Amino acid sequence: MRSDYIASILLFFPVLLVQTTLVPFIAVNGIVPDLTIILLVFYTLRNGQIFGTTVGFIYGFLFDMITGSLLGSAMFSKTVTGFVAGYFSNENKQDIYFKPYVFSLIVLLCSILNSVLNRFFTSIDINTNIISLIYLHGLLPSLYTALLSIILIAFYPRRSFN
Amino acid sequence: MLRFFVHVWGNFKEYIVLVALLIISLLTLSLNNKPAVRSVQTLAFSSFAVFTSIVSDLVNTGSVKAENQKLRRLNAELMLKVNLLREYGIENTELKTLLALKDSTKYPLIAATIVSKSINKSQSTITLNVGSKDGVLPGMPVINDFGLLGIVYSTSGDFCIVQTLKNLELKLTVTDERSRINGIMEWDGVNLVIIDVPRTYDIEPGDRIITSEISSIVPVPLPVGLVSGISKGETGLFNEVRVKPFVDFIGAEHVFVIKLVKNLQKDNLELNFYKRK
Repeated sequence: MRSDYIASILLFFPVLLVQTTLVPFIAVNGIVPDLTIILLVFYTLRNGQIFGTTVGFIYGFLFDMITGSLLGSAMFSKTVTGFVAGYFSNENKQDIYFKPYVFSLIVLLCSILNSVLNRFFTSIDINTNIISLIYLHGLLPSLYTALLSIILIAFYPRRSFN
Repeated sequence: MLRFFVHVWGNFKEYIVLVALLIISLLTLSLNNKPAVRSVQTLAFSSFAVFTSIVSDLVNTGSVKAENQKLRRLNAELMLKVNLLREYGIENTELKTLLALKDSTKYPLIAATIVSKSINKSQSTITLNVGSKDGVLPGMPVINDFGLLGIVYSTSGDFCIVQTLKNLELKLTVTDERSRINGIMEWDGVNLVIIDVPRTYDIEPGDRIITSEISSIVPVPLPVGLVSGISKGETGLFNEVRVKPFVDFIGAEHVFVIKLVKNLQKDNLELNFYKRK
């Protein structure tokens, strides 16, 4: 378990590197996928809810520190995201949850939650339209993230579940 | 008592951990403006920026040839415009001398490359490969050949973070170049909008928007964008003016930081956004 913590944190840095340098090239109308959510969901499904909550907290902290965002916003949203992803963590059902379409649905849900919570904390505005908040800032980037997760999880070796 | 705690922990440990971490996150939100937190954040992003600059250089190598050709053409077009503007500049200088006005148009530029981008609908920031060692200070505007890109937010020795115009925290005073009407421009998550513009004001779609000389952040006129639409505000007395920026924030690679000398009087005003204690 400790090695999983270390591995998940170490893997976060190259993923964030790709997120900030290469992912902008695949942006569609300013919408980019969030690779860190895919990584968070992946490790949470493998290791449980407490693991996911803690790693989400750490990911959020590192993300805020490195990108210069409002410190605490990504910490909060990714902590909740890791917790919610943990509800799908089950040792007996890993072969089901790691199927591409199921994994992408979990990523979609977690990504929407992460985006909405993050947006909520970066701007609390009474004029904010909740539908616009969920659609533009939650659904579209999350759909893109979920689509990318299908491609990435397809390369995950199935023999790991045995 | 101990058994009670063990029982509670056994049944609710996930929720206890969640609540504890959320409380820490909320407490951290309140510490954002502390100098110690800012310096740790500066250290973190500058350390990471070393790696992003390496990757960015590798990625940009492939597009250098095409960009060089595009820049040569642009160079030729600009040379023609510069010749014309030189004539106007000479005339302008003569007129200013006659009127005894101060020359405020010369600002040194620091060339920089974008090494990483954090694209988000609410907090878009970019990291540049220039920092305090190159003379960059928080509050300096960042431009490219199309217009204003953002404002320097934080600096380390070799890198700096820039809040782009598409950032909820950045509000800028802008002017309609034609009618000289001032307004506050902000990013609402979807569009750049100039808010609370009285409906009687003369602003039309297609008008050029530039930064206002009365701005405490960018007191020189820099191109921002074109008015793309006007919509009625919720109260009915004011309009919201949507602005399409000149700059392509996703595609931008090479930029310039304008080395604006701080106006001490303006800097000490309480309303100055970038006032540092």
